[in-house]
Amino acid sequence: MMHSDALVSRAREGDKNAQGKLVQLWYKRIYNFSYKFFFDHDMAMEVSQKTFISMHKNMEGLQEVNRFRSWLYTIAVNYCREELRKKKTRRSVSLHDLRPGESEESYRWEASSSRSENPEKQLRQSELSDLLQQCLMELSDEQREVVIMKEYEGLKFREIAEALQISENTVKSRMYYGLDGLKRILESKNITKETIGYEL
Amino acid sequence: MNYKPDESTLIAYLYDELDAKEAEKVQDYLDQNPEVVKKLHGLNETRNILSHADDQEVIAPPIFMDHAHASRFWQNSYFKTVMSIAASILFLLVAARLIGPEISYSGGELRISFNRYKQIEKPIEQTITPSISSVEVQDMINASLVKNNELVSSEWESNNKKLQASLKNSLTNNSEKIDELMKVASQASQDQVRTFVASLQQDNLQLMKDYMQLSAKDQKVYVESLLVDFSKYLQEQRKQDLMLFQTRMSSIEKNTDQFKQETEQILANIIANPEGALKRVNNY
Repeated sequence: MMHSDALVSRAREGDKNAQGKLVQLWYKRIYNFSYKFFFDHDMAMEVSQKTFISMHKNMEGLQEVNRFRSWLYTIAVNYCREELRKKKTRRSVSLHDLRPGESEESYRWEASSSRSENPEKQLRQSELSDLLQQCLMELSDEQREVVIMKEYEGLKFREIAEALQISENTVKSRMYYGLDGLKRILESKNITKETIGYEL
Repeated sequence: MNYKPDESTLIAYLYDELDAKEAEKVQDYLDQNPEVVKKLHGLNETRNILSHADDQEVIAPPIFMDHAHASRFWQNSYFKTVMSIAASILFLLVAARLIGPEISYSGGELRISFNRYKQIEKPIEQTITPSISSVEVQDMINASLVKNNELVSSEWESNNKKLQASLKNSLTNNSEKIDELMKVASQASQDQVRTFVASLQQDNLQLMKDYMQLSAKDQKVYVESLLVDFSKYLQEQRKQDLMLFQTRMSSIEKNTDQFKQETEQILANIIANPEGALKRVNNY
């Protein structure tokens, strides 16, 4: 758990410092969830900011402190869906979409832990991340959000069901078919355990 | 026992989210069904591959908490609404003053105009009186046609005469040349045959030389292509090196920016919460 229930309680009671602390603790997770959902830095930033503004406004309405995590992801998912709808209605293609991961959007903060890594390894790792991200983008929106929540955000099936407001069985089913679909996508792109080992 | 777990149960088993009793049942089922084990193994491998996608590093932007007393009356939404309506009306009034629109309805005609209404002047019809009669025009056309016909026919005759003369001339010239050639051919001697053979030999020699040159050229092309390939290889190597260098440079740049952001965030925290920062300083 990244936060204590006491911190959430204080934030709910209007403690601005506690709210600020929650933002600092959760910003990276929400940004990464949105980034993996859109594969777009700008949209991820947009969703993250909206999520935390909404959290700040509606914190008092949080019923159960121990459900803060799924509550936060509910807000993020709703904003992701909203942005997706806007993107679909705009029907425009940005230059970035032509080569995702190559332009300004790919402004990645280098992880502090990898500062000392050699650049070649970093390059290969970043290419592999982009490739896996492209595979994720081939899944349907419903399957993608479940796979990201489970695989990268480490939520329990129950928490995902709460966040998406669907049944736990539906979540599990989406996860199963999402993983199965990803397996086929990876195979079609010849990404296997062996090729990854060779690349890295 | 006909127990068969569905996809939901299998995926929960894969993520270790089944209770002990259920997990035991699934394990028994898997012991008897190696193809399902294989399927689950494939899914697990996919999970392992997915875990290679790194998180993006991002720093939470500095948050400045709003204070109740900080809001001023001009930041009030009602004030803003009233002001925007007033500004719109003012804009309309100024626009109306400048443009001066007029809207009138008369005789089934709605007229919207800006500035003054101008009467549209009807074009004055002019009666043109011709200065030359049509008969005179016809006469002029006929006269120019006759003149033109005469000119054309005289030119045609002179051209025809010139053509016939040149034809006769070329015919006489050609026949003379052919006669001369026939005479030379009939007088061909043994010496001339020898010179012909010698010229043939010369030609053969030239052919051989050309062939040799050509093969040398092919070799040259081959060596050139070899050199080009090698230079391409060097180019590619250079590109790779540059990419590595660029990655390193960008990582340095990102580190610097990250450091800057962290500093800004710390400063923002101190500004937002000076008391907390003071306490922390005092604790040291």
